[in-house]
Amino acid sequence: MDTLPLLLGTAWLLPLASFALILLFGSRMGKAGRGAGFVATAAIVAAFVLSATALTVWLSAHPIEAPAGHSSATADSAEHGAAAKENHAADTHASAGETTAAKKIIPPVAGDWYELGAFGTKRITIGYYIDALTIAMFFMVTMVASCIHIYSFGYMHEELSEVTDHQVTLASGQHLHRRGRFHRFYQYLSLFCFSMLGLVIAGNIAMVFVFWELVGICSYFLIGFYIERKSASNAANKAFIVNRVGDFGMIIGLMAVWTGMGTFSFGDYEMKDAQGRETMRPGIFSQARPAGNDFQLQAPDGMVKFAKRDEIAEIVQKSENAADAELQIEKRIDGWRKDGFGYGWLIVAGLGIFCGCVGKSAQFPLHVWLPDAMEGPTPVSALIHAATMVAAGVYLVGRFYPVFTPEVLMVIAYIGCITLFIAATMALVATDIKRVLAFSTVSQLGYMMLALGFGGWLAGIFHLFTHAFFKALLFLCSGSVIHATHTNEMPRMGGLLKKMPYTGITMLIGCLAIAGAGIPWIIGLSGYYSKDFIIAQGLVYQHANPLHGWLFYFSVAGAGMTSFYMFRLWYMTFLGTPRDKHVYDHAHESTPSMLVPLVILAVMSVISGWKVPFTNLELPALLTQAIPSGTEEGAVSNLTKFYIPAEHLSHESGVHFFATGIAFLMALLGFVLATAFYGTKRLDPNDARRTFATLYRIFIHKWYFDEAYQKIFVRPALAISGWIAWLDKNGLDWIADNSARLMGLCARLDDWFDRKFVDRLIDLVAAGTYRLGIRLKALQTGSLRQYVMLLAVGLAALFMIMNFYWNFAMSKM
Amino acid sequence: MNDEFARSEYCPLTTDHCPLISVNLSDLLQDVLSSTTGPLMGSFRPEVVISITILVILLQRTFLPAWKLGAFYLMLLGLGTAFYFVVPWHGTMEGMKSPPPFTGMLVADSFSVGLRTLLYLFTLLLIPFTQISGVPKREDAAEFYVLVLGALLGMSLMVAANHLIVVLVGMEMASLPCYVLAGWQRNRRFGSEAALKYAVFGAGAAGVMLFGMSLLAGALGSAHLPTMASKLIALFELFPQERSAVVATSGLLMLGGLMLFVGIGFKLAAFPFHFWAPDAFEGASAEVGAFISVASKIAALGLLVRLALAFSAVPDPGALEKLAPAREYLVILISTLAAITCTFGNLAAYGQTNMKRLLAYSTIAHAGYMMMAVAAAVAVAGNADRSGAEEAIASLVVYAGIYLFMNLAAFAGVAFLRNVLGSEDLHEYAGLVRRSPGFTVCMALVMFSLLGLPPLAGFTAKFAVFKALYETGKSPIHALLAIGVLNTVLSLFYYLRVVKVMVIDPEPADRTAPEIPLRSAAGGYFFLLASFMLLLFFFSGGVANWARRAVESLLM
Repeated sequence: MDTLPLLLGTAWLLPLASFALILLFGSRMGKAGRGAGFVATAAIVAAFVLSATALTVWLSAHPIEAPAGHSSATADSAEHGAAAKENHAADTHASAGETTAAKKIIPPVAGDWYELGAFGTKRITIGYYIDALTIAMFFMVTMVASCIHIYSFGYMHEELSEVTDHQVTLASGQHLHRRGRFHRFYQYLSLFCFSMLGLVIAGNIAMVFVFWELVGICSYFLIGFYIERKSASNAANKAFIVNRVGDFGMIIGLMAVWTGMGTFSFGDYEMKDAQGRETMRPGIFSQARPAGNDFQLQAPDGMVKFAKRDEIAEIVQKSENAADAELQIEKRIDGWRKDGFGYGWLIVAGLGIFCGCVGKSAQFPLHVWLPDAMEGPTPVSALIHAATMVAAGVYLVGRFYPVFTPEVLMVIAYIGCITLFIAATMALVATDIKRVLAFSTVSQLGYMMLALGFGGWLAGIFHLFTHAFFKALLFLCSGSVIHATHTNEMPRMGGLLKKMPYTGITMLIGCLAIAGAGIPWIIGLSGYYSKDFIIAQGLVYQHANPLHGWLFYFSVAGAGMTSFYMFRLWYMTFLGTPRDKHVYDHAHESTPSMLVPLVILAVMSVISGWKVPFTNLELPALLTQAIPSGTEEGAVSNLTKFYIPAEHLSHESGVHFFATGIAFLMALLGFVLATAFYGTKRLDPNDARRTFATLYRIFIHKWYFDEAYQKIFVRPALAISGWIAWLDKNGLDWIADNSARLMGLCARLDDWFDRKFVDRLIDLVAAGTYRLGIRLKALQTGSLRQYVMLLAVGLAALFMIMNFYWNFAMSKM
Repeated sequence: MNDEFARSEYCPLTTDHCPLISVNLSDLLQDVLSSTTGPLMGSFRPEVVISITILVILLQRTFLPAWKLGAFYLMLLGLGTAFYFVVPWHGTMEGMKSPPPFTGMLVADSFSVGLRTLLYLFTLLLIPFTQISGVPKREDAAEFYVLVLGALLGMSLMVAANHLIVVLVGMEMASLPCYVLAGWQRNRRFGSEAALKYAVFGAGAAGVMLFGMSLLAGALGSAHLPTMASKLIALFELFPQERSAVVATSGLLMLGGLMLFVGIGFKLAAFPFHFWAPDAFEGASAEVGAFISVASKIAALGLLVRLALAFSAVPDPGALEKLAPAREYLVILISTLAAITCTFGNLAAYGQTNMKRLLAYSTIAHAGYMMMAVAAAVAVAGNADRSGAEEAIASLVVYAGIYLFMNLAAFAGVAFLRNVLGSEDLHEYAGLVRRSPGFTVCMALVMFSLLGLPPLAGFTAKFAVFKALYETGKSPIHALLAIGVLNTVLSLFYYLRVVKVMVIDPEPADRTAPEIPLRSAAGGYFFLLASFMLLLFFFSGGVANWARRAVESLLM
């Protein structure tokens, strides 16, 4: 398996090479930097080929077996599974034990490329952690990115020549003229691809954090691509600052991990101990879920010791030697663990990491940046703000899953549920085509978080993949529309299907996929499968925890809203009569370079939930290989009474049948309503708007989040900084100015002293030395006779000196 | 007086010390044969290869004169083979256990291996340099190379010497070819004059040294260094009772030692035996200058270490104490001369306008720094813990190894510039940076390295020696350290002046444009050497480890 790090490492570094090339020579690549696009595209396509190769290598090493029947152990209801958890000793081994036996544990390929630094027994490295999830992410990211690189040739072609930005008016009243930035765009895209792949392949959480920030900065650059537009630069700032809030929490999580576990590494790693022997040391996952403990979550030793540090200090003080103290602590540590010490730190670590994910994946309450981020070029929205970067938060939750305690998972579920609901309501009323999609993205990300919080690792991650394909598709379609109509406003569109048939059809496929369309219980588009997984998991969760059942109901309602707003979008854009004659007349179908990616992504949106014919190969089965050991059995919270149900319970046929029914019914309901309002016009949206005036106002104002944040955070911050600026100008500056004046005076005095005394002295010494050197030169007369004489004289002189010294020494003895 | 002492019952010449006495003839022959043929096939294989190479080159010159580059390739082949044999420490530890080679005339320890490695490495680097710079010319290359090889053989003997006869033979074998090489450019009057001065001065020094040797051998009754040391111990054991006899004999020994030192001082160009150096360097070509300044200095230092440690460190801890007066004498002698040599070299370099003369004084100063390490080693040689002395000698080896690259690079730069400028005058270098920026930067690197600025190899070398000086914990050596540091400051002036002339001074109007692109053979070679200035700094750990390896069996 040594080929995998090589393959993926190369795929990771290729975009970096492209970035460096474009950075250095971008403006000189072909006419107006057109070559930069080819360089970047070649790099990402090569990375895709390498990722595909890695996928085949992986599959040949770990073939997917025919799914084993879940019938025997899981025939009982979800309640049984939860009950089994409760009296752990009795029959957990009957159900959970059997499933772990059935699931072969596939070890990840983990290791280090380079050690950045070592601090005693701790160290920071650049490493890799490759399992089925990594491979699948590489495949998906490089594929979507390749499509978007190709698409951008068409979309960004205006940047190849002089650009007149009609949205920027200069002080002179004219529109801004500037040079095209085609190569700059691809330069950032390449940097982004490198960062995103680095985030995915990272072997430790510190490296994840580095690339986390790198994708953040790329996002900042690309949102602010039209930097001259005030709205774009504001949006870029907003995205960056809001993300810092999340990262602050993440840093706290990192500190908890570093303090409590003594490593950042995900997997186990080799390290030299004090005696210089290579020993295996446990990584984060092995510490949180040791194999010796049947992969059950427990507080790591370091966290327990940290929680009991006062008592440990006492023990060390009392005992005679270090070994003795070590022994005593070792003896008592299990007891402490049982008493719950250290568990709090595990929660802190989990919540901290999740905090970062909240920022990056635009979850409530940090979701406000993503809609504004649509100021960037549409391909960027598709790649970064729909398919990959914002999904990185979900990915990290999935990656860090073994460390999350049930309490943290409940927080994740709640945050996800709130996000999915409020974002969906905002999407219902928005009129900007890209904003609808942005709200939809936030909502779908909430879905993924919710699924993960439900204990449905596979459901959440699977939805990440299917969503990446159809949301990228939807964004690219909207980009195609915007490119043709030069407007984002749906009320000015309508009837475009005739003008842009390919875009219209592919977008319809995207809408069907996201709505989860299909023939119930038989076949469907990709969204049909992934949404089913989530609903089924929710169903099981609701059974196990009736108290938290509303999470499930909201997610079901969200499914209906998704279907409604997507079809609303499609109807308003493509059907009906043209509402703006000017826009309609100028609309045209896009160039092939934009259409080909649409078709590819449409195909992927349809088939990515299907099984490859004649094999067992399907995406969920591949992802199943990466389910963290120990998490598939579910868990029970020690602090409060609630259960994370085991995921296999949701695959049981009864649950599944029911879930499919619910999901389909909701999608159908949304579709019917949308058709009634916008398709056949049987109902008037304005009526509904008037009837629910209050709700409409809340939704259209995005629940007043921006206004609230403006009042609570931005205004006070600006006010405080205003005061400080005043203080600075009138107080500190005066002191600084006068002390500078005083310093100047001192310096002049010192200078005078230096010149008059110190320099004179040094000059004298130097001149003396130089004169001595010149005089010594005179010793070398060139006369041989004199040389030989000097030899003799030197010898004699030396003898005299030594003899004198010798006699002196002898006389003393 | 001396005869009385030799005849007295205190003479410790017994069969223990001299195993060849009181055995029968066949055993003797057996012994001689085994101690001769063994090393020839073992640790002294490189020298055998060198000897064969000399013969082959001469034969090629005679019988295949049409093969113009023959001498060059044969030389490379022979040296490469010798280098291969010496490098992997062939028979280092075994050499210590088996009977001493050549009936104890030579030693085959790690130190000799280490220094011979340096010598062969240096010559290997020198040969392509001479080929690129065009001295010697094609037709007399064979003679040139044979002389270099002959000198190299002598130097190998010097660093492995264990007997005064070998010391003399090795020194003369190393010196005589150098005299000829100094006058290599026959049509230049300066060259012949330099060679003559060098030879006459050398003859004088050799004479004095030989006289000193006879005094030492006569007073101690042996010329075998370990035997002499044990005799010396026996002499000092008499001290409180036979005070006057010991004082008289030791005065004689002191004079002998001093005279012996004259010979080494001449090879090292230590003050006041350095007078030949500036003139010889100015007259000789830069290629020869590089050889004399590096190879012969390394060999002389090796010899100095051998002689100094022979009388200051013996394996027996009980006897070690007795040698305290000898150590004191050696420390005073070596450290005084080191301090004077260093200071004199640096000061006298101030007024020089000829680059080779300037470098001559620079090498004198560097010899001073290296002698300081020897003084430090002798000062702590009496400690029961040998690591102090070993560290000091290891620092010397580090210095020698780095000095090899620095000085070769400096002389190579001078030679290449001579080829394009036709002059070795410092003023002619003015404004060089405009025409050959790469070459100038490399030259500046070399100058800064010679000065000892980090991050260059010269710093590593100086730091190693100064650290060893500091760690002796003895005040005279600390005084020496202060002098060494002050000297580094002094040397700033003339090294920086070279850089200043090259970079800041305006280009003379009447000069032809000298261009040495880094892509040419000369530029490439120079760049390679200059890059070692950085490499040896960044891999100084490896250099230090290697040096430690080289001294591991020196004091056993």
